[in-house]
Amino acid sequence: MDNLRIPAIKRKEKINLYVNGKPITAYAGETVLAALLAAGYKIIKKNPVSQEPRGALCGMGVCFECTVTINGVPNIRACVTEVQEGMRVELDD
Amino acid sequence: MIEDKSKYEVIIVGSGLAGLVAANILADYNLKILLVDENIHLGGQLLRKIPEELGEYSELHLDKVKRVGFEFVNQVKQKKLTLLNKTILMGIYNDREILLEWNRQKAFSLKYDLLLLATGARERFIPFKGWTLPGVYSTGLVQVLMKSSGVLPARRMLIGGTGLFLLAAGYEYLKNGGRLLGIMEQSPWLNKIKFMPQIFHQFPKFWEGARYLSLIYRSRVPVKYKRKIVEARGEKQVEEVVVARVDGRGRVIKGTERTYSVEALAVGYGFVPNIEAAQLAGCELEYAREKGGWTVKVNDRLETSVPDILAAGEITGIGGGQKSICEGQLAAYTILEKLGKVKEVPFAPRLKKLQRERKHHLSFMKCFNSLYQVEPATLLDLPEETIICRCESVTLKDLKEALKMGCHNPNALKVATRCAMGKCQGRTCTPIIYELLQAMCQREGGEIGLFTVRPPLKPISLQALNKSSS
Repeated sequence: MDNLRIPAIKRKEKINLYVNGKPITAYAGETVLAALLAAGYKIIKKNPVSQEPRGALCGMGVCFECTVTINGVPNIRACVTEVQEGMRVELDD
Repeated sequence: MIEDKSKYEVIIVGSGLAGLVAANILADYNLKILLVDENIHLGGQLLRKIPEELGEYSELHLDKVKRVGFEFVNQVKQKKLTLLNKTILMGIYNDREILLEWNRQKAFSLKYDLLLLATGARERFIPFKGWTLPGVYSTGLVQVLMKSSGVLPARRMLIGGTGLFLLAAGYEYLKNGGRLLGIMEQSPWLNKIKFMPQIFHQFPKFWEGARYLSLIYRSRVPVKYKRKIVEARGEKQVEEVVVARVDGRGRVIKGTERTYSVEALAVGYGFVPNIEAAQLAGCELEYAREKGGWTVKVNDRLETSVPDILAAGEITGIGGGQKSICEGQLAAYTILEKLGKVKEVPFAPRLKKLQRERKHHLSFMKCFNSLYQVEPATLLDLPEETIICRCESVTLKDLKEALKMGCHNPNALKVATRCAMGKCQGRTCTPIIYELLQAMCQREGGEIGLFTVRPPLKPISLQALNKSSS
């Protein structure tokens, strides 16, 4: 899979996180949503009513379509949360 | 850390341009000020750039409004005021009290003498079949993802909807190396604007537009007018997008459909004011389509109908960065006057000048926004199975049936179908449902009424609430 990170940006510190237990690499300052999309996780969850796959929509904290469980805390919006070393992200996909 | 029940002379909600400009002025007057924002960084939706901890990005282009805006961000950070990010406003109560949740960890209530609401705007969505598929993004998401995290949403993308923002997103996406398949503008007007030089003269935004278009054309990306996104298809995520021609009233012309193979689709249909906090506080609202729908009613000093609550920026009407800067200043001077800090500086001429400038912004806003209107009646042409409320998966069919049963106002529809009851608290679907009701009941926007708003304004952590009481 090709890289979605914009090459013109010289990135600094690498951050390791786990998505459903699998390790992915991100960079300090990125949002959890950006790290997920860059790692190929487009489907974030199932809609609780229809069970259809859903992904992020607004990217700015309004639509709640990108809520994930982070370090055991549910319903956190991936788009307004920064990545942190060792973070454990669970997708309800 | 902030103590529960502490009191501030001014609390500003929202650190976008309006809130930021107001805070920057007020901070020079030895007042106890709190600036609250839900986001990680100051600056709201317009002022976004790669954060320092992420890396260096030399190719950042800033127009004048943004250059000025980032200057304010730097100034505010060094001034004497309290900044609170990652903070959700849960409620506004009598006796000048608000309830906040900080970083999902702690809740506290604070007192104010004056409250300035600068809660900004969010994107407007017009649903189509398949718009809930992963990979259908707002143009705002595309911009935020690139500007705040330096990540492209996909390698191959189509953009559709209406408004100048489509061009801005397309321009940034191309510049950052994305493969843009086309821009599908629903409105026929954009084409005509190019031949109206007086508008170019009046509004720098159009020069901005010209710059976007020049790169887009040079990259041989097709920009098509009177084209509507009619369907997104794919098994688990978007793979194909169907686009069709529309007539002058926005109705799809059958037989003109064309399919694009995509990795993502970005859509934008303009903006809606974030009025919920003001509505909860009991501020009088007014409906005007050319201002973005429901807005907070203010006088020429930006006072709302509720004593001690002011409103500035996009919530008084969608008008862009310059209007927000103007209103941020105006709100700050009104606040200084109300707090008796007037004598130190001659305010009257400055207020008058800002009020004149604001009138100019308002008249331009009306003309500009009316170019990109989507007819509410076209919503009725959508396939019945189209989802309107994403959180609760409520379809157009569900809403039409409820209407037949006599649900002619938003709250009745909510009770009957659960629309607007999900996690986003109706932020995404309420503007759509207001317009659907207008079309279905053939009534004007203001006559439809509003969904009731209750605290907490956004989902919050019960754990945080619990901590506040202990």
